[in-house]
Order: sequence, then C-alpha cells, then structure tokens
Amino acid sequence: MKIAPHDASKPRRRAAPEAMILFSTGRQLFAIAAQAVQEIRSTDGLASAAVEISAPDFAKVTHFFERNHRNWFIVNACAHFCLPVTRPMLVLILRQARAALLVDHIERMAEISAVYSLPRAFSGEERRWYRGLAYIDDSVIPVLDPAGVLTPEEIARLDFHSASLLAEREFEGAANS
Amino acid sequence: MSATPANSTGSFVLLEVGKRRFALSASHVAELAPPVRLHTFPHESPLVVGVIVRRGRIVPVYDVAPVLTGRSSGTHRFYLIASLYFGRTAEPSAIPLQGECELATGEVFSPAADAPPYISATLVTNGERIPVLDLEALVTQSAAPSSAATGEALS
Repeated sequence: MKIAPHDASKPRRRAAPEAMILFSTGRQLFAIAAQAVQEIRSTDGLASAAVEISAPDFAKVTHFFERNHRNWFIVNACAHFCLPVTRPMLVLILRQARAALLVDHIERMAEISAVYSLPRAFSGEERRWYRGLAYIDDSVIPVLDPAGVLTPEEIARLDFHSASLLAEREFEGAANS
Repeated sequence: MSATPANSTGSFVLLEVGKRRFALSASHVAELAPPVRLHTFPHESPLVVGVIVRRGRIVPVYDVAPVLTGRSSGTHRFYLIASLYFGRTAEPSAIPLQGECELATGEVFSPAADAPPYISATLVTNGERIPVLDLEALVTQSAAPSSAATGEALS
C-alpha cells in the first residue's frame, strides 16, 4: 500500500476576516474574537477592585468585581480548560457574558477568514469551551466560546453566592464597628 | 475461534497496532498519510490525541493503541485516514500506525463469543485469523485506556 504524499493544501478559507486575540495560558495557545473582549487589564490593576470568592462547585472562579452595579466573575482559564494552573498576568474582561478570564499572556493579534467546526470526534466539555478551530500560521488553535466560560445559570448561582458573601461581610463590618 | 461458517468475503486493510494485526474494511479507508504535525489542545474526549490538517480539512487523530494493546502507540510512521460515521455523517479520522499496512481479501466469520464489542468479525486470510475492527464501536466506547479488554480476547 502506498502512502499519499505530503499534503500542501491548508484548510479552505470561506468567510470575511475576523480579528482574533491569541493568548496563552498553561502553555497552550488559544484564540478569542477581539470583538468578544471588552477590556484587557493586568491582574495587579484589578486586584484592588476584586473580591475573593470560593463558591462550591466553582473552583475555576477565583474573584468577582463590581461594574455598573453588577458583579463580574473572574475565571481562571487554566482551571476552565483543566490545565495545570500557572500564574496569570492578565484579565480578559468579556463582552457577551459577565465573566473575565485570567490568562498568562497575550501573544498577538491575528486575522482569520474562518472558524472551522470542531470535529465530531470531540464530544466532551470542549464542545462548550470552543466555537471551533482556527488555522493560523500552520497551527490549529482552538477559538474560545465566550458563552461557554460561564452559563447564565452558573452566573445566577454565582450572583446569589456573591450577594450572600457581601451581605455577610457587611454584617461582620457592622458588628465590629 | 469456533467453526462458524463464513458469512461473506471482502476487502480489508490489514494494519499493525502494537505488533498485533487488525483488519479494517477497505471501504472505510481513504488513504495513508505521512506523519504530519499533530496539533493538540485541551479537551476531554477519550482516545482523541489531537488533530492533523489533511487535504484542507482538520482531521481528528485517535490513538486506538491503548484500547487495542493496552499501550500508547508512541512514535508512528504514518496515519491511516478512515471514515468514521456519526449517525449518517462521515468524518475523516486518522489513526497513527507504526507498522506496515496491506490490502487483503478473505472470508469473514462471526467474531469470537468473547470478543470485545469493537471487534465485528474475524477475517481469515492466508490461514491467518485477524480481528476486524468496528471503528465506531471502538471510539464511542468510553472505556479508560487502562481497562483495555483486548488482550486475551484477541490472542
């Protein structure tokens, strides 16, 4: 049986270009649509505004902060993707969900013409994590689905938990004064 | 194997996984591809080790060796590209192989009674009895690699 020759062709491009932010976390490279990111902050810059949270069943959520009278929840990207946890330096504040992602570095921006569907072989949580796959500079990079970081149900539970936490702190503060 | 009468004949690709020979229906096999770069990223799907880019498509790669032989496949010489059906949809899928592949025809018998579910038949060719793989059953079974039920049933 003969082996087919090396394949020079690359995934076919289809749609209009889309700007992506390539970021790394846990030594893995990911992409996220630039449009899905509202703001990029350093972890130091957000530290004073963030409140630590330890919600049951939400090990990946480390902190929350208030913005426009609503709580935004900070998710450690390594924990989200089940990667060994590293020391994140940046926070990507997402636009479509009240969530922010702790990541290691921003690698660069890239423009892509298509996000390819995740093959059906992938049947686990990754179907929620990724919008699909991008082919950038000879590398296949998963494209994060912002909606998969925290579902509306998870945010509702975290809202409840964070409100309880703040009420508890307020009570403790009043009792101590 | 018991003396089950032959059900049919057919063409098969014989492949070597961890020094064991298996047969795959030739109708499922698209090509043999060189060992191109494997792209990996986090996921939770058993057996899937990453993807390769082949003929303009992103093709998932399954390391079936842990299930078939109890060991990871390690280095490989090429990928066998086969169609895997998810319902009615076929998806090209790659299996890393270390050994040779050959095309063979032979008589097809029912699998041994104690064969694992991913063995759909036994091919008899040149006096050799070779288990025929059911790729869909193989990749959809959720067995952990360590529970490779293969061994004895296929020896």
